Amino acid sequence: MDLLDFARGPAINVAMVVLVFGVLWRLLAILFLGKAPDRTIPRLGTPGPVGAALREIMRRMVPHPTFAFAERFSFFNGWVFHVGLAIVVFGFRPHMLFIKNLTGLSWPTLPSGVVYVVGAITLVSLAAALVRRLTNPVQRFISGFGDYFAWFVTLLPVLTGLIAVGHVGARYETLLAIHILSVALLFVWLPFGKLFHAFLVFVSRGTTGAFLARRGV
Amino acid sequence: MNAECGHPAPAASLADAVFAELAHALARLAETGEETVIDLRSLPFGPTDLEALAEKLGDGEVTCALEVAGRSEVRETGFAGVWWVRHFGAGDEIAAEEVHVTRIPEILVSHPDDVAFAARRIADAVAASPQNEPTAADEEDMSRG
Amino acid sequence: MADQKTLGERLAEHGVSRRAFVKYASWLGSLMALPPATSRAMAAELAKAKRQSVIWLSFQECTGCTESITRSKGPTLEDLIFDFISLDYHHTLQAASGEAIEAARHAAMAENKGKYVVVVDGSVPMKDGGIYSTTAGHSNYDTLMETVKDAFAVISVGTCAAFGGIPKANPNPTGAVSIGDLVKDKPVINIPGCPPIPEAMTGTVAYLLSFGKVPELDHLGRPKAFFGENIHDRCYRRPFYERGQFAHAFDDQGARDGWCLYELGCKGPITYNACATMKWNGGVSFPIQSGHGCLGCSEPDFWDKGGFYVPLSGSIGPTAKLVGGAALAGAVAGVAAAAVARHRKASLNKG
Repeated sequence: MDLLDFARGPAINVAMVVLVFGVLWRLLAILFLGKAPDRTIPRLGTPGPVGAALREIMRRMVPHPTFAFAERFSFFNGWVFHVGLAIVVFGFRPHMLFIKNLTGLSWPTLPSGVVYVVGAITLVSLAAALVRRLTNPVQRFISGFGDYFAWFVTLLPVLTGLIAVGHVGARYETLLAIHILSVALLFVWLPFGKLFHAFLVFVSRGTTGAFLARRGV
Repeated sequence: MNAECGHPAPAASLADAVFAELAHALARLAETGEETVIDLRSLPFGPTDLEALAEKLGDGEVTCALEVAGRSEVRETGFAGVWWVRHFGAGDEIAAEEVHVTRIPEILVSHPDDVAFAARRIADAVAASPQNEPTAADEEDMSRG
Repeated sequence: MADQKTLGERLAEHGVSRRAFVKYASWLGSLMALPPATSRAMAAELAKAKRQSVIWLSFQECTGCTESITRSKGPTLEDLIFDFISLDYHHTLQAASGEAIEAARHAAMAENKGKYVVVVDGSVPMKDGGIYSTTAGHSNYDTLMETVKDAFAVISVGTCAAFGGIPKANPNPTGAVSIGDLVKDKPVINIPGCPPIPEAMTGTVAYLLSFGKVPELDHLGRPKAFFGENIHDRCYRRPFYERGQFAHAFDDQGARDGWCLYELGCKGPITYNACATMKWNGGVSFPIQSGHGCLGCSEPDFWDKGGFYVPLSGSIGPTAKLVGGAALAGAVAGVAAAAVARHRKASLNKG
């Protein structure tokens, strides 16, 4: 068994098991937690919980006007790498084929050349995010190991993926194996670190929105 | 021509590049006698590139057909000393294609060992041929004479 | 049996001039990307060389490699190799049999001690004392070790000899190993492929014959001249890959239009061979050109890479089942964790 066979076999299989187990465990543990029933009667004109949740989710897509200028970098750069990651993950044919091979689900994808460009932009954007984190005193102060490690395991697959398609430094099968191993690392870490926001971000924003919108008597 | 051709610019440029290289090689041959071989199969040529190069080089006075482990073709181009050599392999497919810049391509020259072997053979043939015994052909000649 | 005549003299006796060497060297030099000066030297060396004694051992194999090397339409350029070598032992091609042929092998070994080349196709079974493949009452292992002892070099022809190949495929019932696993004190040249490209086999033999040395090899012991290039990098369908144009099935419009076969499991990106450049049957075609993805047959363990029709980015093994199990376990763990938390909260409220 060579490195690529190990990456495509045991490594990614273990990583997928950890990812799926971890995500469902944490997500269901939170979703089924329940909360004490609110026995108050809602005031007249109070929006329903679903509407309020959706409104809060949409509202937080852009910063509050007060902080719009101060947060312009984080806002813009954050959107760039999030959208970039989504395009690279779901728009690249080989990535879609990984999922199709497991689930049978498929969707149209983008030309590889477009994905390479988006990948490169994403990489630069992620690098900029780190520079910002290190140079901005407030952000630096509130950052811990979890933040840096989350950044690292996100950046690694983008970087190794670009190196693999560019055939830089080693033979393609080795580069591809390293890329898959870096994805395995991301999968294993995702349910347990700050990257779990991928699953919780809309849950938490929606819950907050629904909770705050309710005015009982 | 250009209107029909899909990629006229790159096709022309690769043929041009080889043509220019051949000009240098021919100058070297003329001045110092140094020979050059360009392996056309090693270059990323398309069929149109080869045609373009063949057209630039033109046709010369010599065309040789060889039957040596399959067919081969040696042709002098319009430029003396520039030879186009094609070797055919299984199924009469082109197995090798080269441009030689030389006074005469090696494959046309009789090898000294072959010459020596042939000299022995012809000597044997002379020895074996019964000069004293007239052959049928000789008799015919005699009767005519 | 090898004699003292040079190849040039031998060919001359058959009415073929030394031009044949010039032609052969041009062809081979072009295939192996040798500098023209080296090709000329090769022609001269070949003419002066003695016929090379070759002992061909067949172990756990299908004879496809022999089929490949002997597959030509008539006496041509490519066939010259059979004039350059003296094939002193070959199960399929030999006329003699029984004791006579084993004696011929021993005679060739004694006569050409230290100079003969051993070509091996097939892997060697090592389990249960090697009983799964024997010839003339000897295990393949014993025959191999006896024959290579005084050899100049060993050429492992085909993926079975080079890497274990199909006999070694999971679960490897015979304990098959490659020739390189067993022969450590002689140069071993691997010419893998299922079968290998004939020119890669004959070219390597001709190189050995002309220069008396092993050509430059890659990390898997393969001549770089034939195995230095990646199929995907040299594939004429590569532009379709870059444009994202893939055949989704063997009979869809994409397949008919000759689009990239990555999605149908093509292993071109991890395969090193000359198929895309040299092609097969005198340059007629190669698997991808004929509409099927590359199987990666010149790579170790190509049979166990998760299936020929699984795309390279797909995982190997029972991933879907594992993920299903993990999902179930994760859901149970999550609901249980929530139930425990609820229970605790309820008991706190009561308390």
